[in-house]
Amino acid sequence: MIHLTDVFVEYDNGVRALNGLNLSVDKGEFAFVVGSTGSGKSTFLRLLYREVAPSEGSVVVNGEDVANMKPADVPYLRRKLGIVFQDFKLLPQKNLWENLAFALRVIGASPRDIRRRIGDALALVGLTHRCDSFPHQMSGGEQQRAAIARALVNNPTLLIADEPTGNLDPDTSWEIMQLLDQINIRGATVLVATHDSQIVDRMKKRVIQLDSGYLIRDENKGTYQQIES
Amino acid sequence: MNLSSVDFLIQEAFTGIKRNGLMAFASISTIALSLGILGTFVLVALGANHFMASQIGKFEIAVYMNEKIDLTQTQAAADKIGKMPNVASAVVLSKEEEWAQFKRTNPNIESAGLQHNPLPHSIDVRVTDASQTTSMANKIRLMDGVNTVRDGREELRRVMALARVVRGVSAAGVIVLLVTATFIISNAIKLTLYARRREIRIMKLVGATNWFVRVPLIVEGVVFGAIGAIAAWLLLKLGGVYVAQTVEKLPFMAQFSSDIPSSVLALGLIIVGIAIGAAGSFVSIRRFLRD
Repeated sequence: MIHLTDVFVEYDNGVRALNGLNLSVDKGEFAFVVGSTGSGKSTFLRLLYREVAPSEGSVVVNGEDVANMKPADVPYLRRKLGIVFQDFKLLPQKNLWENLAFALRVIGASPRDIRRRIGDALALVGLTHRCDSFPHQMSGGEQQRAAIARALVNNPTLLIADEPTGNLDPDTSWEIMQLLDQINIRGATVLVATHDSQIVDRMKKRVIQLDSGYLIRDENKGTYQQIES
Repeated sequence: MNLSSVDFLIQEAFTGIKRNGLMAFASISTIALSLGILGTFVLVALGANHFMASQIGKFEIAVYMNEKIDLTQTQAAADKIGKMPNVASAVVLSKEEEWAQFKRTNPNIESAGLQHNPLPHSIDVRVTDASQTTSMANKIRLMDGVNTVRDGREELRRVMALARVVRGVSAAGVIVLLVTATFIISNAIKLTLYARRREIRIMKLVGATNWFVRVPLIVEGVVFGAIGAIAAWLLLKLGGVYVAQTVEKLPFMAQFSSDIPSSVLALGLIIVGIAIGAAGSFVSIRRFLRD
């Protein structure tokens, strides 16, 4: 699903965000990406949807060479991915249904297709009854579920979540994680960058830890902190 | 791109305009003012052109006869001049007519001590080729009974030089303003885009192609440009009425106006407005599409 080989990322300001990262994530996996601020978590995720191009090395997502992808092909890569952010990135002037429809219309989906896919996605996140609500009328948890629904309308094979629970209380965070877990069980590969140690410890999933752009730990059924043996 | 996408793009453009009302107003008024000033310069340049063209056609030579020459002799001289090459017309102006005319415009002249008509008979000669005026005047000067010949060549040369300067300055102004207007308008559009960067970012993240992001914004720019152009046209119309009223009091300036029909002016402004709006949007969006 994801193969990174000797990936270096250096930003224009000279900051080295990733230093020779080698990493693979298989289809259907659920993995946490942990590390302090500036460790390279976000850069790693942004490489996958080609928000960032590597300075060196190869990045393969879904069998496609993302590192050398032409800009014109990037939109088509993103249509196969679902991306979720800490700040939800919902359009404030559009209600829930319109937010989801917007995501489908900008990729040219037909009206019939839009109705069907939105119905499915809203049912999955449990927000069917909220489809007329505007983002400001919804709680943080509902907004994040709305954002996840938007990420799911394209039936992505890979769901990327960058700090999805950063703005949410512990109970709501746990609900969101359960939802991501469910999406994983239904077949999507899920990558979650997080600072939430409780959740990582409780979920017992693969943990990828980065520090200063280096991979320092990659552990199955891991915990947030490395347990000293 | 299917039909529902086209429908969506146009719909998005108009909801964009409605939702960002204040920004839309700012952009449109910027465009209107820029195009209004631009239009003023174009009109002045065209007016100068028109003025020069009209003056060339009006080239005349005034021939004043000796005091002893009577009207019949003057008429004979006029007929002779009329047969010369390059002469469009030679019209006799009798001293009585001229004196009456002069008294009408200067009613106090008799009380000022001028009791008798001091004017000679004269002939008003119009030439077909302005470059021949001097040689024509010299030929007429040698004719019997002719006292003075005046050709307005020198005065006209000065007026034409002035008009030429006005036209040159206006033309340069048009070019500078076109560049400035494009820049200002592109900045105004950049501001509306900045207000919508969130939307643009989401579009990019869910996999919209660059053209799908661009098209509604370019449609918006085109609509802004067209509305701004219509507003500029109205401003120019109102300004034109005011100027015309003022100019009526200055007979000399009467020819100093362009005679382009207002529909042509409107069409020209709308085309420039649309082009600037579309180009401004296109250039401004680039920055937002990069990330």
